[in-house]
Amino acid sequence: MADFVALFLTDLVLGLLLGCVLAVIAHGLNIIWGVAKVVNVAHGEFIMLGAYGAYFLYLYGGFNPLLSVPIDAAIGLVVGMGFYFGFLYRELRGKESMGLQSELVTLVSTFGLSLVIVNIAQSIWEHPVGILWSPGAAQVGPVPVPFGGLYVAVVSVALIALTDLFLTRTYLGNAIRAYTQDIPATQLMGINPTVVAAVGIGMGFSVTMAGGALLTVWLPTGIDPTKIGILYAPISFVIVVLGGPGKMWGSLVGGLTIGLIINVGQLFLGGSIALATAVAVLTLIPILLFRPEGILR
Amino acid sequence: MRRLSLRTLGPTLLGILAFLGVLAAIAGRMPLVLLTLVINLLIFAALAYSINFITGLTGYVSFGHVLFMAVGGYGLAYGVGTLHWHPVAGVALGALVSLALALGIGAVTLRFRGVYFAIASQVTALAGFYIVLEVQELGGGQGIVLNVGFEPIAWFYTIWVILAIEVGITYWITHGRLGYGIRSIRADEDAAKTVGVHAAALKLVLFAISGLFAGAAGGVYYWQGSGIFPNEAFSLTFSLIMLAMIVIGGMGTLLGPLFGAVAVYLSSQYFLTVLIGFEFVIIGVLVVVIALFLPEGIVGTLRKYVPELRGLIE
Repeated sequence: MADFVALFLTDLVLGLLLGCVLAVIAHGLNIIWGVAKVVNVAHGEFIMLGAYGAYFLYLYGGFNPLLSVPIDAAIGLVVGMGFYFGFLYRELRGKESMGLQSELVTLVSTFGLSLVIVNIAQSIWEHPVGILWSPGAAQVGPVPVPFGGLYVAVVSVALIALTDLFLTRTYLGNAIRAYTQDIPATQLMGINPTVVAAVGIGMGFSVTMAGGALLTVWLPTGIDPTKIGILYAPISFVIVVLGGPGKMWGSLVGGLTIGLIINVGQLFLGGSIALATAVAVLTLIPILLFRPEGILR
Repeated sequence: MRRLSLRTLGPTLLGILAFLGVLAAIAGRMPLVLLTLVINLLIFAALAYSINFITGLTGYVSFGHVLFMAVGGYGLAYGVGTLHWHPVAGVALGALVSLALALGIGAVTLRFRGVYFAIASQVTALAGFYIVLEVQELGGGQGIVLNVGFEPIAWFYTIWVILAIEVGITYWITHGRLGYGIRSIRADEDAAKTVGVHAAALKLVLFAISGLFAGAAGGVYYWQGSGIFPNEAFSLTFSLIMLAMIVIGGMGTLLGPLFGAVAVYLSSQYFLTVLIGFEFVIIGVLVVVIALFLPEGIVGTLRKYVPELRGLIE
């Protein structure tokens, strides 16, 4: 019994730590979803690019994943603005809301983009690569707490808080929020919708790629281009829906929920991470059926 | 009731049927290399028509169609490997299990629209993968190797029949009363409901048909490959190829899936010999460009800009 309690507490802590990272990678998607009302299907591939960013900074500059976060975020901002003008500008320009046809176009075109990125990545980087960074672990009672995961969790929550502060306390942030609520009214206030949307999407990508850098701590088998997108993109979608699309702290709530389901859930599913992951992603369906606005009110 | 004659069937259907007829007539005399190519092309076309039922006709984008293909493959593998059935019976088993699964999943996920349906479909495919990994009867993570003979002619005629039925059903749906209802769902689902279209039932029927044929095509694919392995069987690449084919060919059209299958399959075979992995980059770029600039695909674009073709292709 004592063994089980120790195991349970360990998984609880790991689940919460993992949940924070999952929250931040989903947060990037959440911002994009909130601003443009579209889903970036290639989200997982940008997480992967963020992870590779951290890997190359480690390889050539000796950076640990935490230090590569700001650089990845800066790259993400540029990439995101490029994405906005390449994929969304034509669909969003001059419209007050996203029609079903535009939604279909962005879904399919970003799916094509994910195929391009993942296959280029596979042909350039054939073997999984990993970052050697282990700052040790502390023993709290029966529970080992890995410092790597702890630092990453703290940075993750800080990133979410930072985006929330930006959106609520700055002029540009308020403009972005106004844009998400009512585009014509925003224009009447003298705000350029294109600039605001581009910055908003750029911010989403910046958080996504920073999240990719943070995620490397949780990839014991290294960064594998064939696996990251396929797993973390659906998980991010589920987290955003759990928290409620467009709700900034929803990402954290959703992320912690999924982290706990995967880590604690596997204890009750015969230690199978695979089954626990299946359960975690399938929570999407009851949530959509019974609480489509997400867990948070 | 309209009288059915060759004239009322329209040139597109007659063209496809003539194409299939010629293939069937010369299949026995084809060199093996060509026959293998044709079989794979037909499998791709069958997959394209299967996703066309739901995504093409109703506009519900399914990112998880690989699930039905994989289930068809596992049905075949279970029927042949464990129950020792004839492979054709195995294909039928896979198709029926797929149909049942599509009914079950569709009853829930078709309530969600647009992005939410797309995500839900992807999530069910991912969950299916993780569940199969844990089922020892289906080989778990190792997959199943089948001990079936090399019978290209049997593969050919099985997939030929599947494809012919699909083309027939697509024609029947797009030309019948059902077609009006379905097209109205794609245009505006709420408006369709108010004028008395049973949107939920129609969507479910289409999704079930879609699952049935994706499963059947998957069964033939893995019969030909004599085995199924979870990592490849649930690879999202298949979902994308299916979607790419109808996007390139033209969503919801009768000829589009065939055009798309030819374009995607032949280009993938060509680039396979040039640079492995690069074929998907090309297909991906093609999908992006077509989705952004020519959303009607090859068939729709031809109809739009070449008025002479309007009566000929649909």
